[in-house]
Amino acid sequence: MGLNHETAPVEVREHFAVSEDKLGAMASKLTELTTIAESVVISTCNRMEVYVAAEDRQVGLEVLTKHLSKDHNEADMSHLYQKCGDEAKKHLFALVCGLNSMVLGETEIFGQVKSAYKQALEAGATKGVLNRLFQKSFAVGKRIRTNTRIQMGATSVGNVAVDLAEKIFGKLNGSHVMIIGAGETSRLVAQSMISRGASELTVTNRSMERAKALADELNGEVVPFDSWQDALVKADVVVSSTGAPEPVLRANQIESVRRMRKFRPLFLIDIAVPRDIEAQAGDIEEVYLYDIDKLQQLASSAKESRAKQVELCEQMIAEEIRQIS
Amino acid sequence: MDRWVLIIAIILAAVAAIQGARHVRRGSKSRWTVLWMLFCFIAQLSVLSLRGEMRACCPLGDTGEVLIFSAWSLTIFYMVVGSVYRLSLLGVFTAPLVCFLLSIALMPGLLDTSPERKIVVDGWRESHAAFSVLAYGALGLAAVAGVMFIVLNRQLKEAHTGTGLFANLPPARDLNQVVERLLWLGFSLLTLGLICGLVMEKSGAANKHLYVALGQWGSYALLLFWGWMRGMPPRKLAITAVVLFVLSLLIFPLIN
Repeated sequence: MGLNHETAPVEVREHFAVSEDKLGAMASKLTELTTIAESVVISTCNRMEVYVAAEDRQVGLEVLTKHLSKDHNEADMSHLYQKCGDEAKKHLFALVCGLNSMVLGETEIFGQVKSAYKQALEAGATKGVLNRLFQKSFAVGKRIRTNTRIQMGATSVGNVAVDLAEKIFGKLNGSHVMIIGAGETSRLVAQSMISRGASELTVTNRSMERAKALADELNGEVVPFDSWQDALVKADVVVSSTGAPEPVLRANQIESVRRMRKFRPLFLIDIAVPRDIEAQAGDIEEVYLYDIDKLQQLASSAKESRAKQVELCEQMIAEEIRQIS
Repeated sequence: MDRWVLIIAIILAAVAAIQGARHVRRGSKSRWTVLWMLFCFIAQLSVLSLRGEMRACCPLGDTGEVLIFSAWSLTIFYMVVGSVYRLSLLGVFTAPLVCFLLSIALMPGLLDTSPERKIVVDGWRESHAAFSVLAYGALGLAAVAGVMFIVLNRQLKEAHTGTGLFANLPPARDLNQVVERLLWLGFSLLTLGLICGLVMEKSGAANKHLYVALGQWGSYALLLFWGWMRGMPPRKLAITAVVLFVLSLLIFPLIN
């Protein structure tokens, strides 16, 4: 029994949310109810689900519904879905594989389910049935991730940019990121780069105040807008998103610092419209230029590719369920 | 016997190449490539050992042996570099080249059926041959890594990132470093080989061979010196590594 982002809005989901450290305790409490022998509670930002093994299916459903309705009103309860037997197994397997996630195929859910199960196990809330079911679900999750392309490719512009940076530089540890224009998208891309290890950040913007605010937030340094070209020598990644009508970074500016850079690779991310970086910059051998169209196109193709894999994943899940039934 | 073991080595290299290519197409990692290459390495070692027994010296007496020795050194450098840099895909690119070199060695007339047993062994000549062929291994692998870089660079430039090959290729900067390091390693071995070659007893044919080797050594020296002094775009370095290796392979017919 449970609810997720497809069946309930956030204001309802937050009523059912269980804090991460209380998942085991709640699962244990549910096993005190009549007919419920085993239980696992999963709670993430997009879902709250209760998995139970009951001696009597119908009684189990009634008892569980009654228990949850103690703390929630009728309107909230109307968002809950119920699944039994093979349908519940199929739901869990799909969940672990990321097929029910907001971002199709995302991998975080696998760890979240594993952690919820571990807590229930440690609290003594699981025995034979749920232990077998959850162990099987993890095996199915691994099989599907290995044999399909459900998690392949980044699905957001920020993640596409970071994945490309890692394909160019390997680990981003020690990489230097330069931000031209302190917009929101630049901030998100820079944050993603920093979260993956980029250690140096330079921010430049026409308004020094905004540049300073962003630099302070991300622990970087500010460079005046009229002298940022000097910082290009050190940069590995440049993220540009100014509102300038003309390109702010031209091919000849890069040409002039190539020798000083010792021909190191330079990844240019242009998320501005009109574009900030002259297209000819991409013709320079060690320069990789991606504008917003290219990034969005890659994100869309990854989404399409993942969607195409759903049918294959469902077939594999059905096959696994046939084997255990 | 040596030919049969050589055929086994060719089959193992072919299996590594085919299986690796299938994994690449599926977009998954080819963990077994290293194992197939290890078996292939052992088979090559056995062939060289048998040939060494027959000759009572380093098995570098004919073109076939030189090709097997080159394939062996290519494989040994892959085993070292592949695991150090976690470049499992390097095996997928290396295996076809190893398979090609071994197959050529099997062609009629290239591998003496009853090689002459040496009574007097010139240590400098043996060392010259061994260092030179080991250098070929390192420089060959640099060329393989160079090809990988060229492919990745093209895919990155064209934003063609949805393929299994792209997903499995190592990062561009790592590949560039591998090319650079292997070039330096190959060049060092080539230098040792050349020094031994200058000291060994020479015949007329050996002099001709030495001039070509000097030209080859000079080309690599120029490339590395240029890169060290002025820097070089990674793509140019990769292309030059490939071109120089292909030109170096053309020296083989001049050996005998």
